[in-house]
Amino acid sequence: MFWKRQVPIFIVALIGSITLFGWFIDQPDVKEFIGDDATQWFDVLASFAIILGALNLIKLQIQKVLYQKPGWQYSVIAVLGFIFAIVAGFFVKGVDDSVAQWGAHVTSDGTLFKWMFDYVFSPMSATMFSLLAFFVASASYRAFRIRNFEATLLLVSGIIIMVGRVPIGGVISSWFIMYLIVLGLGIYVNSIKKDTKVTFVFVAVGVSLVTIGGIISGWPVDQPGIFYLPSIQEWIYYYPNVAGARAIMIGIGLGIFATSIRYILGIERSYIGE
Amino acid sequence: MTNIENIFLKIGSIDRRWIFIIIALVVVVPLLVPIGLPIRATDTSKSVYDAVEALPRGSKVLLSIEYSPSTKPENHPMAISMMRHLFRNNHKVYVTCLWPDGQFMAQDALNQVAVGEFDKKYGEDYVLLGYRPGGEAVVKGIVSNIRKLFSVDARQTKVDDIPMMDEITNFKDFDFLFSASAGYPGTIEWVQYAADPTGVPMSSGVTSIQVNEVMPYVQSGQMVGVLAGMPGAAEYESLIGQKGSATSGMDAQSVAHLVIVLFIVLGNISYFIDRKRSRKY
Amino acid sequence: MVIFAFAIYWLLGHPYFVTDRIVMLFSILSLSATLIYYTRAAERGEEFYLRPIPALKAVEEAVGRSTEMGRPILYVPGIQDMDQVETVAGVVVLGHVAKMTARYETSLNVPVSRSIVMKAARESCRDAYTVEGRPDMFNEDMVHYLTDDQFAYAAGVNGIMVREKPAACMYMGKFYAESLILAETGNSIGAIQIAGTASQAQIPFFVTACDYTLIGEEFFAASAYLSQKPELIGGVKGQDMIKLAVIAVMVISTILMVLYESTGFGFNISEYLTIR
Repeated sequence: MFWKRQVPIFIVALIGSITLFGWFIDQPDVKEFIGDDATQWFDVLASFAIILGALNLIKLQIQKVLYQKPGWQYSVIAVLGFIFAIVAGFFVKGVDDSVAQWGAHVTSDGTLFKWMFDYVFSPMSATMFSLLAFFVASASYRAFRIRNFEATLLLVSGIIIMVGRVPIGGVISSWFIMYLIVLGLGIYVNSIKKDTKVTFVFVAVGVSLVTIGGIISGWPVDQPGIFYLPSIQEWIYYYPNVAGARAIMIGIGLGIFATSIRYILGIERSYIGE
Repeated sequence: MTNIENIFLKIGSIDRRWIFIIIALVVVVPLLVPIGLPIRATDTSKSVYDAVEALPRGSKVLLSIEYSPSTKPENHPMAISMMRHLFRNNHKVYVTCLWPDGQFMAQDALNQVAVGEFDKKYGEDYVLLGYRPGGEAVVKGIVSNIRKLFSVDARQTKVDDIPMMDEITNFKDFDFLFSASAGYPGTIEWVQYAADPTGVPMSSGVTSIQVNEVMPYVQSGQMVGVLAGMPGAAEYESLIGQKGSATSGMDAQSVAHLVIVLFIVLGNISYFIDRKRSRKY
Repeated sequence: MVIFAFAIYWLLGHPYFVTDRIVMLFSILSLSATLIYYTRAAERGEEFYLRPIPALKAVEEAVGRSTEMGRPILYVPGIQDMDQVETVAGVVVLGHVAKMTARYETSLNVPVSRSIVMKAARESCRDAYTVEGRPDMFNEDMVHYLTDDQFAYAAGVNGIMVREKPAACMYMGKFYAESLILAETGNSIGAIQIAGTASQAQIPFFVTACDYTLIGEEFFAASAYLSQKPELIGGVKGQDMIKLAVIAVMVISTILMVLYESTGFGFNISEYLTIR
């Protein structure tokens, strides 16, 4: 019980305190421990621990194949891929020592490992990431509904950022945006007044004012700047977005601080199962 | 009117696979048939360009590559454009990687630019130090003593035998840092542990989704500008006057964004019609 | 006692101490003291109000739904290692979810991306099942390793979702770009989805695609909510008090900086608040 409870709590408290308060100590050995050794110990542990994970993976995949569980064919591919990567990394270079030494062979052209990276790993990684393009479209389509004020704000700012961020946003004239705003306000006025005449007059006056303004100014694409999508998009990025991001960062930082202090002080002991 | 409303309602409940097909088409077609939309550089991209342009000739620049093949369309054009800019101005380029995949990306970019375009000499004009595990420990290691961390480069050559490493002991010996980053460890770790404590100016190119996290550092002056995603990469290509894959990708991205906005508008029209009918009945 | 000892150390010339960071040390000590104060107050029996968080109430609902449908629960503790606080918080919440699955006899599937997380998550689940009196139901393979690579992991989890069709999917930990891939696939199979992360960039994706989302600090407070342990609830209260203090410092600093920069009156407070 002592080894499973008190010792782990003591180790966490000791190493946590040294790492935390060591930042205030200007002594080379302490600084080296905190800056280099502590994180490298973790990396060494993680590197050995990967053997456990790999063994677990292989065991489960082989079990699936042996017991012919549903989808066992994919497990064959998983095991073969695992073996191929080990062989390419540790046993078969594919080129002489004069072309690439062991270690440098992982990035040297012509080696089996580099071939695997270029023609198997890279395309598959890129394919998985490219799924996001489709999923963003379907998620936006499903989720961006004008249900309430906040959802409307999210929708409008999302559209402004999406269009303003790309070159096509720079081509859309601010006068076009002004016409859209007049039409949008017209729909809003109609929903309140429910009077066709009032709506018509409102829209007509709005469109006329915009048209007169455009004729006088010569229809510059990026003026007035307040309606130019790239300018609005930049403003949203620099001000409301950064303000919100900072607030969330501070909250998350405090959450991390509180959780870490709980671990150092031994209040939170879930890592030993309590 | 009812027929039109029914059409909109059908669009509102469309199977997602139709959306996938339409998105695939609007991305592929502009790649095959470019539109050639003009690229307008934003202030943040211009800041990066101006900072690099202002460096005295022969400056020592640390270029850190931390992205994988999955974000290659966004980050690789940034790395390539940055290398072109640096080599054109005859700066010395030192390449490190905080991600294991980054070493492959760095090697590809150097082969294309340093070897293929500028005929630069390895060890005198550029060096690939390679990847070291440890995340922010690597950044801290570079800040304190780079030679302890990198005793050999990516080709297993001793760092002491590389001429351009003679004057380099730690991070403060560099004149500028550029990080092409796709996540952790990356830009934020460089700001927190290297650039801000030492005062060495830094800039970064990040994926579009990371811009939120990084913008507070740009605003506070801890970073000099940022290249935001593929648009940022395309802007940098237009600033250095050499178009690349980012510029050609912007047509596809522009059209895809417009189509997504169209889907959202159609979805909302369908939502309102549905709501109106449920209130009616 | 600590303050007295530090005062003596300071008067003796504070050897090896980085003087520039004294404000940070003072902040850490006072914030920690605030946390400890409220934790002790909660342990003494003082009651603190915590606003209801729908996502945490939905966890039990999700487990119940899975039990009724006879389908497993998929729990994803993020893609980073145990050196990230979010992963640790994810493993903590897993313990609570495992208690519920043990109680309702629902199967639990926890694919992980790191070996150390696999070990920690197994311990958490094993103890949860033991505490619920169902050690026989625990199987080590319910927590299994897939791969370290981000998108290979996402592909593996997607495959599990599409083949096993879990009734509930929970994403609790640190995520990157794969968050939307997981959430959209979960949506396509009709699972109830609950997410919790402090990864700023991924919160919008989870909010859009999941039924319930724990945003930022709500995720770190989850273990307090689920366990209802007084010391953890006191810690959450302490966090709120710290936030109030931070807001007060921000307001006062802004006023002082405006006064100093426009009239020269006062002092440059940013020098004291800058971390060196």
